[in-house]
Amino acid sequence: MTTTKDLIGRPAAPVQDRDRPEAAWRRMLSGSGTGIAVATVLLFALSPIIAPGSLGAAPLLSMLPFAAVLAIIAAGQTLVVQQRGLDLSVPGMIALAAVLATGLPQSHGWPLWAAVVAGVAGPGLVGLVNGLLVTVFRVMPLVVTLGMNAVLLGTVFFLADGTPSGAPDALNRFALSRTFGIPNTLLIAVGIVGIAALVTQRLIVGRRLTAVGVSERAAAALGVRVNAYKMVAYGFAGLCYGAGGVLLAGYVKTPALFLGESYLLPSVAAVVLGGTALTGGLASVAATGVAALFLTQLGQLFRSMGWQDAMQLIAQAAVLITVVLAREMLPALSRRRAARRAASGAPDGVDRGASGA
Amino acid sequence: MTNPDLFDVPTLPGSNGASRFGPAVLALDGIVKTFTGVRALTDVTLKVLAGEVHALVGENGAGKSTLMAVASGALMPDAGTVHIGGVRLESSSPGEARRLGLGIVRQDPALLPDLTVAENMAVGVGYRRVGGLGRAAAWSQKELDKWEMGIDARTRVSDLSVEQRFIVEIAKALALEPKVLILDEPTEHLSLDEVQKLFRTVRGLAARSTAVVYISHRIPEVKQIADRITVLRDGLVRGTFDADEVDEQQIIELVIGRTLDTVFPPKGSAAGTVGTEDRLSVSGLDGTDFHNVSFTVKAGEIVGLAGVQGNGQAQLIRALAGLEPAAGGIAVAGRTVPPGSNAAAARAGVVYVPADRHGEGVFLPLSVAENISAKTLPGVSRGGLVRERRVLAVAADQIRRLSVKTPSPRTPISSLSGGNQQKVVLARTLLAEPAVLLAEEPTQGVDAGARVDIYGILRGAADAGAAVVILSSDGVELEGLCDRVLILSRGEVVSELTGGDVTEAAIARAALTSTTVRERTDADKAARGVKLRRWLRGDSSPAAVLAAMFLLLGVVVAATSPSYFGAFNLNNLLLMAAPLLFVGAAQQVVVLGSGFDLSVGPLMGFLVVLASFWIVDGGNLYLGLGLMAVGAVGTGVINGLLVTRFNINPVVVTLAMYMALQGTYLALRSTPGGIIFSGVAEQIQARIGIVPVVTIVAVLVLLALEVALRRTRWGVELRAVGSRIDAAGRLGIRVKRTQFLSYVLCSALVLPAAVIMMAQIGIGDGRPSLSYTLASVTVVVLAGASIFGGRGSFIGVLAAALLVQQVLNVSPFLGLSQAWSYWLPGLITLTAAVLYAQFRRSRGTSSVRKAS
Repeated sequence: MTTTKDLIGRPAAPVQDRDRPEAAWRRMLSGSGTGIAVATVLLFALSPIIAPGSLGAAPLLSMLPFAAVLAIIAAGQTLVVQQRGLDLSVPGMIALAAVLATGLPQSHGWPLWAAVVAGVAGPGLVGLVNGLLVTVFRVMPLVVTLGMNAVLLGTVFFLADGTPSGAPDALNRFALSRTFGIPNTLLIAVGIVGIAALVTQRLIVGRRLTAVGVSERAAAALGVRVNAYKMVAYGFAGLCYGAGGVLLAGYVKTPALFLGESYLLPSVAAVVLGGTALTGGLASVAATGVAALFLTQLGQLFRSMGWQDAMQLIAQAAVLITVVLAREMLPALSRRRAARRAASGAPDGVDRGASGA
Repeated sequence: MTNPDLFDVPTLPGSNGASRFGPAVLALDGIVKTFTGVRALTDVTLKVLAGEVHALVGENGAGKSTLMAVASGALMPDAGTVHIGGVRLESSSPGEARRLGLGIVRQDPALLPDLTVAENMAVGVGYRRVGGLGRAAAWSQKELDKWEMGIDARTRVSDLSVEQRFIVEIAKALALEPKVLILDEPTEHLSLDEVQKLFRTVRGLAARSTAVVYISHRIPEVKQIADRITVLRDGLVRGTFDADEVDEQQIIELVIGRTLDTVFPPKGSAAGTVGTEDRLSVSGLDGTDFHNVSFTVKAGEIVGLAGVQGNGQAQLIRALAGLEPAAGGIAVAGRTVPPGSNAAAARAGVVYVPADRHGEGVFLPLSVAENISAKTLPGVSRGGLVRERRVLAVAADQIRRLSVKTPSPRTPISSLSGGNQQKVVLARTLLAEPAVLLAEEPTQGVDAGARVDIYGILRGAADAGAAVVILSSDGVELEGLCDRVLILSRGEVVSELTGGDVTEAAIARAALTSTTVRERTDADKAARGVKLRRWLRGDSSPAAVLAAMFLLLGVVVAATSPSYFGAFNLNNLLLMAAPLLFVGAAQQVVVLGSGFDLSVGPLMGFLVVLASFWIVDGGNLYLGLGLMAVGAVGTGVINGLLVTRFNINPVVVTLAMYMALQGTYLALRSTPGGIIFSGVAEQIQARIGIVPVVTIVAVLVLLALEVALRRTRWGVELRAVGSRIDAAGRLGIRVKRTQFLSYVLCSALVLPAAVIMMAQIGIGDGRPSLSYTLASVTVVVLAGASIFGGRGSFIGVLAAALLVQQVLNVSPFLGLSQAWSYWLPGLITLTAAVLYAQFRRSRGTSSVRKAS
């Protein structure tokens, strides 16, 4: 078959020229995780200058377990955000995991391993229910998870009968101790985030999850079982919250009933800082994990500067909005510049796709 | 082979044919329009004269719609001028073009689905012309009755059929008595009867010296209605002709830029490449918009589906791909495929090329390579692990083979032209080695060069042994490509054209003549029950259900615990409901404009803590209230600015605001403190009988909001923005401003809620406020607002808030544990959301499907 360029007389190749530095900026600010990695390195480099001694062994060892828990929870949040959702049931999920892991051995004499499995699997099942409500029943994710959070908190209240129980000693010891000098919590977090990153980035399953997140309709047209994949994402997110909740319960020994409340916004912030867009699709679990480390170290720094927790909330909100703003503004600026360039001397292409014909 | 340039000789406008008409009413001069580096219109000049019907013809994507978007002020041209009625259109503003006398009927009507027909007409033609919103219904009814389409001006647009919507759009344009009327593909949705009615109207308009621009790719129709014809191809004018000076064949060749035989590859039926095996056989297939469809397609054969748009063709081809529910027999190569499952269809080797390329065909943020192997991932992976190098190699191979113009396989597909994007979709399709290839409008929005390539690719797939089914609205395309064509009407296959009968004229004739009477939706059927049905579909039906539940629950609880109806408890219930009424209304305002505000709860806490420094013994009441007001409005302004000016997701904005406000009130008071001045607290809790004054005020505010929502421009525009933001923008509503104001009003409504809570708890403490965020969402969901905006009523909020407060209130009477105070609101929210979602879906199915 001959091409018809000679007949039409014009090539059909609108090759956009890109301004390299701008493209680099964009890459850093959206996805790929470069931005957050650079920011984290900078933060750790600056920490000793801002607060001397903040990179000592003691502060690091007290910070890392919390970073680890946040990284695991934020990995779950990433999976949900990838599917164009936002999981507001994180506090309830963490509380459920904690109450199962601590309450079952204490009140019902369950062996530790069974309680841990229940603590991880319980939120996983709830995640599947969330997914079911979002996909099959077509309820907006925000409403599902907001309502589910209240249901979970009620359940936690019911299970604990109003009073928190202590974590089994073995769990507490595991969460506190270190292997080769590295906190066990961190090892678990690296393991979970690593596996999640591998699955979502490199495996077929992960590519399909991305496809569904980018465009449900396009994925359906390819023959992908959209609902099943979305439910899997919500289910795995639940497992992550469960693992994070169990670890947290073990670490703090006697978890308050509603200990998950303080993890909701940080989990969203970590996802956003990691470069995953709230419009779904392209997501990076690894970058989210790095962002969790960044956020926790930032909090540690504020604390060492004597800021109270209330100020931390404000600081987190400010960081979140600043990053989202920057991400929104910079591409818009470079787009405008590109448009101006295109208007002055456009390549002679033949696109009709954009004309809305 | 003919040199295509032969057809490019333009006839000068103003030659003998034009003299019959008046002066140019619409004059476009040297229009250039470029999209992201791609030129859509090149130096286009067009003069439309008073009293003429001027047809603009060209293939899908030749630039017709872009040109008319420029003419109507919807798009800003890069160069060139637009004159309407001799006055230059200075800025690209649809309102300005309308004022100068330009009316446009778009292919995709700019209608707001959640608003009534009358409200749509009022927004579309201006409130003054219809005599204010109050008289809009009567006025619109008069305009619509001329068309005898059985359209009731008080029904919601989403309940109309596609052709009824189109008539509303036409009536809207005509009501403006335009000097120049643009009709963009007006007959796509209409039956023969309606087409004739439309033609009579158009002739009448021309006789009263209106200039009419008639855009179409249906050549026979154009010949019938037009006085002059301008041909557009690849963004260039290829000539303007008197209608009786050219015949259909000549127009077609001008439109496609060459003779037909150079565009289309030889047919399989002629070359003898059609197999004998029935690759695809469909028997007795039923779906939502088609019935009892049976046909077979052989391997190597291309079968076309045609018909007037909306006769079930699209649903049929999607059902074959498993994307629409259906029942009946589908078999691929003899093996049965269960209908209604996209995965089962894909496994059987059915591959679907969608019409909506951006929405359904490509993954826009992904690279060309990722798009190409999206369907055949196992082929580029080992042990489930995708190998990036294989992905790129496969992509490079396909790019070369299909001559896709892309800088690299890593380029995001969004930066490719429409034709090249479509080639990527086809590359992905071919890689899957389809047994059955279904293609819907495969060349829509594709330039002429790529179009020829795509025809070759489709024929090549058939020659490789696939059964190919093509749905197209382009008769020339069907004629050139298909071995057989099936015509659908009202969801049934009414005729089949084979061999030499497959011609554009025959297809158009068969489609139009078989579609004389279209089924009408309920609007003109069954006059009885219409009122009831309309009420059930309305925004206020949830309110009645909620009120009934409220009363029923009260009676049940009172039966077990008589003190429930005691004065003390009722007063308490109503007083506790007051803040919820305000917060619910606040959330409703934002949700109506398709926003969301998670920060309402902590905002209450922040305001209370703020007050606890001033509204105390020795403080200053007015300063305290003033600061509260500033805090509330300030929060709304920040939320609104971030969402509208900087395009940040409202959930992120208000979640950050949630944290910031929480942090602020905790920083101000880490423990409760600052006893609220008791005199003020008592005054706020004053009551008339057993009813607290603040509750009465809250109810009155909600009623006022409801009236405003139905009867004022603010209300109509807020619902318009929530209903369909792009259409609202095209209709000249200031979308950003409306949304911004909704955030400010939301926060302002939180202020009274905070004042009441302050009196209730009597101390500066922000913590109790947090639960109001969930409560506000619960109220809005219960009130039946579509959480996507556009629908909902404040009466519903009123009933829902009372019910929620009652549910929280009855726990102690029923002896329920504290866990229930979490369970009840959570479960109610989930149940209500699920129920409404199912209700909406079953109710909206038919109209949504038709619209798609």
